[in-house]
Amino acid sequence: MAEPSSSPTVHVYEPTDTGLPPLHRYLREIWGRRAFMWHLSRSELKAQHYDTVIGQAWIVLDPLLEAAVYYLLRTVVRPIGTDAERNALLAHLIMAVFFFGYTRASLMGGTKAILSNRNTVLNSSLPRLVFPLVAVIEAFLDFLPTFVVYMGLHVLLGQPITAALLWLPLILVLLTMFNLGLALLASTVTVFFRDASDILPYATRIWLYVSPVLFTVSEVPPNIAPYLKLNPMYWFLGSLELIFTGHGPTAKGLFMMTVFAVAVFGLGAFYFLRRERDLAVRL
Amino acid sequence: MPFDSETASLAVPPTIEVQDLWLRYRSSQEATLKRTLVGMTQRRKVTRYVEALRGVSFTVQRGSVCGVIGRNGAGKSTLFRTICGILTPSEGRVVVRGHVTPLFSLGIGFNRELTGRENVLLGGLAMGLAPEEVQEQYQAIVAFAELADAIDYPMRTYSSGMSARLGFAVAVHLDPEIVLIDEALAAGDARFKKKSSDKISELCERDCTVMIITHGVRIISSLADRCLWLDKGRVMAEGPAPDVVDAYLRFEGVLDEATAAEDM
Ligand SMILES: Nc1ncnc2c1ncn2[C@@H]1O[C@H](COP(=O)(O)OP(=O)(O)O)[C@@H](O)[C@H]1O
Ligand SMILES: [Mg+2]
Repeated sequence: MAEPSSSPTVHVYEPTDTGLPPLHRYLREIWGRRAFMWHLSRSELKAQHYDTVIGQAWIVLDPLLEAAVYYLLRTVVRPIGTDAERNALLAHLIMAVFFFGYTRASLMGGTKAILSNRNTVLNSSLPRLVFPLVAVIEAFLDFLPTFVVYMGLHVLLGQPITAALLWLPLILVLLTMFNLGLALLASTVTVFFRDASDILPYATRIWLYVSPVLFTVSEVPPNIAPYLKLNPMYWFLGSLELIFTGHGPTAKGLFMMTVFAVAVFGLGAFYFLRRERDLAVRL
Repeated sequence: MPFDSETASLAVPPTIEVQDLWLRYRSSQEATLKRTLVGMTQRRKVTRYVEALRGVSFTVQRGSVCGVIGRNGAGKSTLFRTICGILTPSEGRVVVRGHVTPLFSLGIGFNRELTGRENVLLGGLAMGLAPEEVQEQYQAIVAFAELADAIDYPMRTYSSGMSARLGFAVAVHLDPEIVLIDEALAAGDARFKKKSSDKISELCERDCTVMIITHGVRIISSLADRCLWLDKGRVMAEGPAPDVVDAYLRFEGVLDEATAAEDM
């Protein structure tokens, strides 16, 4: 029997322990919530930073201080000769800390995305994917001012501005996809293992040390390079290092970034959507 | 289906159709990595299941008000969550024709650090409306909630009654098709209860379908067309509201109806 035209949407809920929701419909639902996600991220950040100058400045000051500490560490361990070398190192550290910060903030935001929205998850029928998405949007909005400040420092420190920077949008898209995949994984795992977020600060710290943040890709000794290359951040930060020093990214770098972005995003989205309908009964 | 002029009204499919619905919660200890590791060595299963709904069936027609009553823990909120699609049925089937606007006692409030004003906007956007559509109704929502200056304070400073007012105001002003109200009016004051029950009647005239959970049986008798009585996850009775309310009060041994009717 045909449905009367006055009821356009018919929802049928049945037991489904396997499989994914109908993707077409799901994506349309998410797309319909774009204004919601945008406003939620904006107003949450505003509430977090108290909308003050200090709060805003802290977004940039905090990672800048971190970079400054690493700079001291590096120059104490092995004093550097020329001014040019010192400036290049400082620019690299700031760049790497800022970009690593974007990934770290997405991951941390992901761990809280479902748990801290427990009430909303239990009391509204929003597609759950909006919560980790909002976490990444917030991480990105916090990353933007640091990026602007970096570009200023990049020029001040006499680093090259070349056509290689045109690769930046592509790398950012791949990095965002990778970050979203991480946030999706983290938001699901923390529901099933509540203490997973306790070990995260240690895990991200170790991750930072094995990523080309404190060192540059060109300084990596050949005997440990094969191990570091298993780390996705090796490829992301390595490619960024290349384009910020006036070189194009390598073909292998582009390939590996794409592989990691697609794989982590695909895995995260699949795991999340498979588990999504399980989340509410476990909160 | 052969057309029969006498049952023509029955040919319109019900707005909400619940068929032999079962819902089990997994109720184990909070899962942690530590417990999982310990559990692996001990080979001990701690998972238990809570059967919150056991074979519930009923239908609700378009434009009607259906009251839901029952003891605490009877499965009323669970039923609403399943109709919203928040919980997936363990067995059975739920068909909902139209868009559901849930209104739970916890109220709206996506972020309690944000002001009431911001939460109104978020509440509307979460329902899938465009910012302009929310803006159009904005004055009416704020006026209905009667929060005065508090609308610009963070929602964490609100009393539960104030949150409830705002949640109700948002839900009923954005042209809902189906509204589920889970004890959301309980915290409101007498004046607001009167105002909201008038609003619910008005919605029904516009073909909106309402289901309402409440412990205030008087409001059910006056407002609801039909009533569903749940107990321990089963339907005890379903029918015209006054009869079901009567049966419920007799069963519970609450002869002094005034006590039961006090809260909405
Ligand atoms: N998240 C949950 N996990 C496990 N059991 C739950 C959960 N939520 C509710 N229950 C159980 O399901 C039953 C029905 O609960 P509920 O639907 O909230 O009842 P009501 O709204 O009628 O008071 C109760 O026995 C309750 O303990
Ligand atoms: Mg309840």
